[in-house]
Amino acid sequence: MSAALPVWRQSRARVVRQDDRGAGHRWLELEVKSPFAPPSPGQFVQLRLPSVANPVLLPRPMSVASVVRSRGALRLGFLYAPVGIGTRALAGLGAGGEVEMLGPLGRGFPLEHPGTPVLLAGGRGVAPLLFAADVLARRTRSGRARRSAVMLFGARTRAQLVGLEDAHRRLAALGGRLHVCTDDGSLGPRGNVVQLLERVTPGLAGPIVLHACGPHAMLKAVALWSLACGVPAFLAMESMMACGTGVCRGCPLPRSASARVAYDPATAQSLHGNREWAMCCTEGPVFAAEDLDWERIE
Amino acid sequence: MSARRAVPPAPSRRPVPLRAVDLAVRIGPLRLRNPVLTASGTFGYGDEYAHVVDVKALGGVVTKTITLEPRSGNPPGRIVETAGGMLNSIGLENVGLERFRHEKLPHLRALGATIVVSLGGETVAELERLLEVLGHERAIAGFELNFSCPNVAKGGARYWAVPRRLVRTLARLRPLTKKALIAKLSPDVTSIGDLARACEQGGADAVTACNTFAGMAVDLTRMRSRLGRASGGLSGPAIKPLALARCHEVARAVRIPVIGSGGILDARDALEYLAVGASAVQVGTATFLQPDAAPRIIAGLRAELAARGIGRVRDWIGALCGDPLGEAPARPAPSRRKTT
Repeated sequence: MSAALPVWRQSRARVVRQDDRGAGHRWLELEVKSPFAPPSPGQFVQLRLPSVANPVLLPRPMSVASVVRSRGALRLGFLYAPVGIGTRALAGLGAGGEVEMLGPLGRGFPLEHPGTPVLLAGGRGVAPLLFAADVLARRTRSGRARRSAVMLFGARTRAQLVGLEDAHRRLAALGGRLHVCTDDGSLGPRGNVVQLLERVTPGLAGPIVLHACGPHAMLKAVALWSLACGVPAFLAMESMMACGTGVCRGCPLPRSASARVAYDPATAQSLHGNREWAMCCTEGPVFAAEDLDWERIE
Repeated sequence: MSARRAVPPAPSRRPVPLRAVDLAVRIGPLRLRNPVLTASGTFGYGDEYAHVVDVKALGGVVTKTITLEPRSGNPPGRIVETAGGMLNSIGLENVGLERFRHEKLPHLRALGATIVVSLGGETVAELERLLEVLGHERAIAGFELNFSCPNVAKGGARYWAVPRRLVRTLARLRPLTKKALIAKLSPDVTSIGDLARACEQGGADAVTACNTFAGMAVDLTRMRSRLGRASGGLSGPAIKPLALARCHEVARAVRIPVIGSGGILDARDALEYLAVGASAVQVGTATFLQPDAAPRIIAGLRAELAARGIGRVRDWIGALCGDPLGEAPARPAPSRRKTT
């Protein structure tokens, strides 16, 4: 048995600020006190409103878009769109409001993977990749990494490229380049992120590694491209979840044939798992392209 | 069946100190430090929440259902949120008997918690095999027989909803262990009281009322079930009034202890179940909302009883069992009690 103890915690968090980011998106900043461990890019937290204000039952999994440490506390940033009852209620919280937070949960992007990181963002899937750009910039500054990075950011329209300025700033800090595209051609070349990837990669020197977040259709296209080209790719997946901690077994994703063969019940990530399904919450949400059966993912 | 309770708790009683409230209850041979257990399938195998919950302080932990062979569970979607509740279609995903024995039991021994292992089988022979292997295991305090899973094709709620089958099955399982045998029943039956009586007759120590209710949700865009199967099991506060009525029905039908379950979110919910005759309760979906739900409910129960001047939770159990309208006059304590 090599199962490591999970490090997530159940905490109260306070809203520091929440504002509009255009195209129906919100930026939420929460402060949480230690011993809450700092999340890494691609990890998520479960947010739940206190019962009085809560119109829904289950907590909502939210990908972390930034982490700032300040005097024994953490400030976590979230970029999200209030599209359902739960997130709409969350959008109603002002500064000083309280939420319950569980986390950090899941496995994030392996940013230490060899190769130049190419961050692929689709729409509001940019959130964890903004955070990834931050972490890469910090590593570059501290001399722990010499690589630059590239971000490819696609959305339906120019207006839907939410967080674009943020992305510009963070990529500049990293000395990396930002490429954008839109479905309607309102900014950058017309087309999707995979088409942009095909256009940009020939200009990149040396091996690359893809880190992607966006709609499942985009992630599937990225995964199939990466598998065909032999480029390592890591994709942040989504699923309906109840507990977020691997206990309820409610968020299965189908393993690929090779992952089923390689499945080892003794690893911490597959804690009480099985050969057929990987839980999005504990084995993911970030998966290597070769570990999932993309034909069975919608 | 006559009322089993002594004096209905009088609202005019003086509050008692928190620490003086005795929460201990008995479920057959099982002595629980308090009447709050975790529900099967919502607390893993007992150690997953151990870093945020003091599992020793719980009345007990009911594990995820174990089957003879590992099960990989149902295809997605497995979870759908509904108004005040959630549907699940997990399909008894579990590591199977052997991995449970080798990987989980050693941890459970170290936890020091009261562990009730949930067992599932498609036949009585499978349940016999499970009990032959685990029946004398020291780390285990008792067993809950899952006669009520709504999410499997074979050996689920429908299969076990036959009184004669339950009598025969329990009669064959009873000699295999001295530990508590608890039968968990489905609410989706013609008469849950008949099934509970069958379990009692077969030798069960207690009955859990009840498992989830069969429910559906349709994805109108894709025009198909939002679950991987047509239907799933509904849990959460949406089912509390329904499950409470089933619990009351079972408590009136049998003399063995009843464990209430269904939609309990706080101590007052637990008090309702205990009042209609449950000797203990299970907390399930609430743990998905707040991992520390069960210890919060225990603390709340203590405070609620203290404020009502009830020094022993056993004096509250069944307060409304024979008299749900609250019309009968107070009567002296019966000589035989369901719980001591």
